[in-house]
Amino acid sequence: MQAFDYKKQTLEPIKSLRSAPREEMYLPGHRTCSGCGPALNYRLVAKAAGRDTIFIGPTGCMYVANSSYLCTPYAVSWIHAQITNGGGVASGIEAAYKVLARRKKYDGPFPNIIVMAGDGGSVDIGLQSMSAMMYRGHDVLFICYDNESYANTGIQTSPTTPYGANTTFTPPGKLVPEGKTLFPKDPPQLVIGGHPLVKYVATTVVSRPLDLMNKVRKALNVDGPTFLHMLAPCPKGWKFDEKLTLEMGRLAVETGMWSLYEWENGEYKYTHIPKKYKPVSEYMKYQGRFSHLKAEHIAKMQAFVDEKIQKVKAIAVEAAVPTPKAGA
Amino acid sequence: MSTIKVPKDREVPFGAVTPAPVTSQELFITSNWRIVRPVLDREKCALCFQCVMSCPDSCWSFNEEKEEVEWNWRYCKGCQICINECAAEALSAVPELDFPDGVVRLEKPF
Amino acid sequence: MAQEKLLSGCAAAAQAAKLAEVEVVCSYPIRPYTAIMMELVRMIHNGELDAEFVHGEGEHSQLSVVLGASACGARAYTGSAGVGVTYAGELYSPMAGGRYPIQMAIADRTLDPPGDFGSEHTDAMTFRDQGWLMGWASTPQEVFDNTLINYRVGEDQRVMLPQMVCQDGYFISHIPDKVIVAEPEQVKEFLPPYKAPHPLSLTCPVSHGPQIRPDQGAPMDAQRAAVFLEVPKVIQEAVEDYNRIFGRNYDPFVETYMMDDAEIAFFVQGAHATTCKSAIRNLRNQGVKAGLVRPRWVRPWPTTQLAEALSRVKAVGCVETSTSYGGAMRGGNLIHEVRASLYDLPNRPLVTSFMGGLGGEVILLDDFYYMAKVLTQMVKAKKTDKHVYWIGFEEE
Repeated sequence: MQAFDYKKQTLEPIKSLRSAPREEMYLPGHRTCSGCGPALNYRLVAKAAGRDTIFIGPTGCMYVANSSYLCTPYAVSWIHAQITNGGGVASGIEAAYKVLARRKKYDGPFPNIIVMAGDGGSVDIGLQSMSAMMYRGHDVLFICYDNESYANTGIQTSPTTPYGANTTFTPPGKLVPEGKTLFPKDPPQLVIGGHPLVKYVATTVVSRPLDLMNKVRKALNVDGPTFLHMLAPCPKGWKFDEKLTLEMGRLAVETGMWSLYEWENGEYKYTHIPKKYKPVSEYMKYQGRFSHLKAEHIAKMQAFVDEKIQKVKAIAVEAAVPTPKAGA
Repeated sequence: MSTIKVPKDREVPFGAVTPAPVTSQELFITSNWRIVRPVLDREKCALCFQCVMSCPDSCWSFNEEKEEVEWNWRYCKGCQICINECAAEALSAVPELDFPDGVVRLEKPF
Repeated sequence: MAQEKLLSGCAAAAQAAKLAEVEVVCSYPIRPYTAIMMELVRMIHNGELDAEFVHGEGEHSQLSVVLGASACGARAYTGSAGVGVTYAGELYSPMAGGRYPIQMAIADRTLDPPGDFGSEHTDAMTFRDQGWLMGWASTPQEVFDNTLINYRVGEDQRVMLPQMVCQDGYFISHIPDKVIVAEPEQVKEFLPPYKAPHPLSLTCPVSHGPQIRPDQGAPMDAQRAAVFLEVPKVIQEAVEDYNRIFGRNYDPFVETYMMDDAEIAFFVQGAHATTCKSAIRNLRNQGVKAGLVRPRWVRPWPTTQLAEALSRVKAVGCVETSTSYGGAMRGGNLIHEVRASLYDLPNRPLVTSFMGGLGGEVILLDDFYYMAKVLTQMVKAKKTDKHVYWIGFEEE
């Protein structure tokens, strides 16, 4: 219960792709789809976090596809959590290490405790657990790898699935031509909105690996709960050619479908604001999940994104590639 | 009352806890997924490390002594992300069957 | 010198948990177990116990938090009641199959619908097949003792299973009775520290719970079942040690009362056994040779010990304080396992059941006299007319 000085590590910024750590903590040998965006996210997160890390893996693609069968690709300790309780299990691990260190039963470095949850495990069925962990202030990094669906069960809609997306629970039909009629939740805003102990929230995209790894390190350096929202393009779910995984990330940013920013102690800093946004159709045309949409639906999507862009322009403070600060 | 005996070759580890792999997870070889493999033209390679950082399966690694990137034959799924990302156009996709060690010649899938 | 105090079941559980030096506690309020957590956090905030007290956001979260803590090698403690127990349902199998020996204190409560704060065993009984150790105390002293015994058995390397330490809501959880609170030295002698076999570690990395194929699932189940073949031996050792160190006199598996020459027997789990003992004394004064068998464990079910204890009576009446709608006897669930335990006996007794104490009602002495009358008539008639009697609703 008492505050005490537990041995937290400080991770230095990574200056270039070439100078990034060589060691892989997420190893080859997993059943993820060819070109899997979430898998690439996982690999970069694990690389940035390093060896003194414990991962919590709620059920999802990054559980099932990674750990089939009775084996895993994680070179560091990892535990399966239910899709419902990534935040809860991580809280227990953090509490255990704190009490064991305080009672002198453990004297090693305090681990990086990282939850790798999908969009469902973060803001749908896992929302309660995630929010409670943020509220209680555990020193845990909660990462939402967002492939915009319940992918592992065969692509069903989730609260982050975009408007107009064709999923097996939102198929286009005579009565519902766009397929999905709902607009998505905004995970970072959910966290920023009401958790007093959260000091750092950021979004990343898989096409900017250096930025991603530095945001991971920065989040780990911050004391207390932190949240990263990672766009994880999914070739199977979004129905695009698997070699375009990073291209989809780039286009998401260039069209404004995905905003790339940090929020730190109440201040927003945008990592990159396109000088001229591309129309959303440039992004959607590659993805089979949007191929059924008519002009009026795409216009509706464009209007939604335009509103987002206005908000960005209103706040916008653009910052250079972030370098993580040591300590809190 | 009853006796329960699980044969040794079917035993599941205590609490379903498995040891962490060290350099790769050999229980899940994925080389036979691919139909093309990326071939590197080392003359063109600018050592930008983009391929190294864009492979979900960590199939490109940097050899410090030789100062060149190396490809992992055993796990590459042939997704072609690296080929698509290479700014120097040093990578090209070549059909797997063109190679004498092409994986369709493996005896067992995994 | 061990102190004798007047403690409710909840307070007794908290005292025992403190002596067990639990390290991670996860709370959530629900009647009638909440006082356990209130007591524990008072002790923690006053510096009497060094533990992390995590405010869970629900019972499902409580189980999640203690699972994570136990996976790292911390002794973890939680608890609940009624619909809280059912809400945590998803976690019971992962906890047991993952071999995380946490302890869950349950002060039982009738399930919804609608809200009913009264005691019923249905909440925990519903989950008896998930692979946990489970048993009911019948006094606050036994709650205290069971807390320590369950950690010792559950954390034994041959067992490594989570435990549900149950007590009747209100009858035990809220009504104070004499409890001898042990000395820390006694506890230290009895209960070794928890040592997780494969903790989530930085120096020796492990993966807890990768996905498996169906053909790997079958051995997983078989291995989980096999552990329960080992548990009785560990219980025997632990309770013998406990009796020796703390000066108690528990039978490891079943409590028997006036069974030496009994012709009819009551089978009662939990608090109502105390009323039953009074009834038996009065019945004896009227020449009725009645006795009581009280199981201290639901899981592992004390099959052989029960068969032995009940082998010489002519009729057994199971007092059911939980429901099993649509079950084989259309009543409760104890009767099924009692009949199964007695089936192979050469002269197996007649067995019937009495639904009593449901919803939190008291079972009166008069009710036990009624049950004795029914059992005596059964013995005379040499057959069971009915398998389920609903106390208070039968025509007498």
